[in-house]
Amino acid sequence: MSKDGSSIFYPTLLSEAAKWAQKNSLWPMPFGTSCCGIEMMSTISSTYDLSRFGAEVVRFSPRQADMLIVAGTITSKMAPILRTIYDQMLEPKWVIAMGACSSSGGIFDTYSVLQGIDEIMPVDVYVPGCPPIPEGLLYAIIHLQKKIQDGSDRKPAERPTQEDAMNAMSYRKGVGYDIKANFVVTPDHINEIKKQQELK
Amino acid sequence: MKTNAFSTNAKFLEAQNTIFARLTDKYSSERKLEVDKLNEPVLWARNPDDLKILVKAFKLDDNLKVDFLSDLTAYDNQDGEDGTGRFVIVYQLYSTVLHTRIRIKCLINEHQQVQTISDVFVGANWLEREVFDMYGISFAGHPNLRRILMDERFSGHPLRKEYPIKQREPFNNNIDFHLGANPLSVENTVIVNAPEGEK
Repeated sequence: MSKDGSSIFYPTLLSEAAKWAQKNSLWPMPFGTSCCGIEMMSTISSTYDLSRFGAEVVRFSPRQADMLIVAGTITSKMAPILRTIYDQMLEPKWVIAMGACSSSGGIFDTYSVLQGIDEIMPVDVYVPGCPPIPEGLLYAIIHLQKKIQDGSDRKPAERPTQEDAMNAMSYRKGVGYDIKANFVVTPDHINEIKKQQELK
Repeated sequence: MKTNAFSTNAKFLEAQNTIFARLTDKYSSERKLEVDKLNEPVLWARNPDDLKILVKAFKLDDNLKVDFLSDLTAYDNQDGEDGTGRFVIVYQLYSTVLHTRIRIKCLINEHQQVQTISDVFVGANWLEREVFDMYGISFAGHPNLRRILMDERFSGHPLRKEYPIKQREPFNNNIDFHLGANPLSVENTVIVNAPEGEK
């Protein structure tokens, strides 16, 4: 109702209204397993105050939450438990991978650590950092709100092969480049390059 | 008597000397007694069965006053730096009265069994499980020798030198093992009993 008593209508689609409601009332389910969890606690509490963005109702039951914040290292023994929590959340649901460990395994390129939670579930927003500062998580949540408003399609989880997972963090294999393992420059290579330059 | 840093230090050094004297007098026959960089005694047991005898004797010895097992661990001796034997098993004992430490080491081979000391020090139960999990050393007489850190379906022992460090094993579901609707049958479940004499 406006001041003069006449009613105001905002003509819109119900789906748009639902999106607006969803993005401004995200209920986070925290899954903090290490130092990222401390930064997440800081983000939620008074100093950074996540409630300014409508995401302050932290639920420790996955059935009451719709945004899973995975903050910390996930071991391969923990992975099925995390997947169960994801399965127990009701649709619509979103996932934030907070920090290097949950995004890619981080520094723990070992026998026991999952190389990023996207091996077991679809992820909406990745937050870089080790750990990310609270502003990083806030930015991720604002970004997620934009994504919800846009209604963009979600990519399904991609399971890398065993070989990909093995090489996920090693520097020998670059992403998008064809770098051979144990590549050493020999005089033959230099001669080849010189020949190519002459041809040009 | 006033205590300060110098007096406590002198007391500690005295205690360390008495312990070293006791070890040389009574326990060093046919065993190698060393001193590490921190001036703490390292006693090499003759064989794996000797370990438990030593730990039991230390606990009962009134001069050593050993009453606490700080750590029980092992390391891979693949390069043979410490002698012939695949692993070295380490017992770190502490006296809360004298504040002194004694380390017992023993060389063992891959298929040799070590007697459990979980009936002497109850805290050794989980430490022995960890050594079993990481190195595959089995402890005879242990009440509940299962993996403690890795998944129970995991194959291999990751802290052995020959284990490829990046070899991961994904498991679909491990919740049924303990929490799910269809838990393991009674035959497959290991019941944990407190060791006798400590109840």
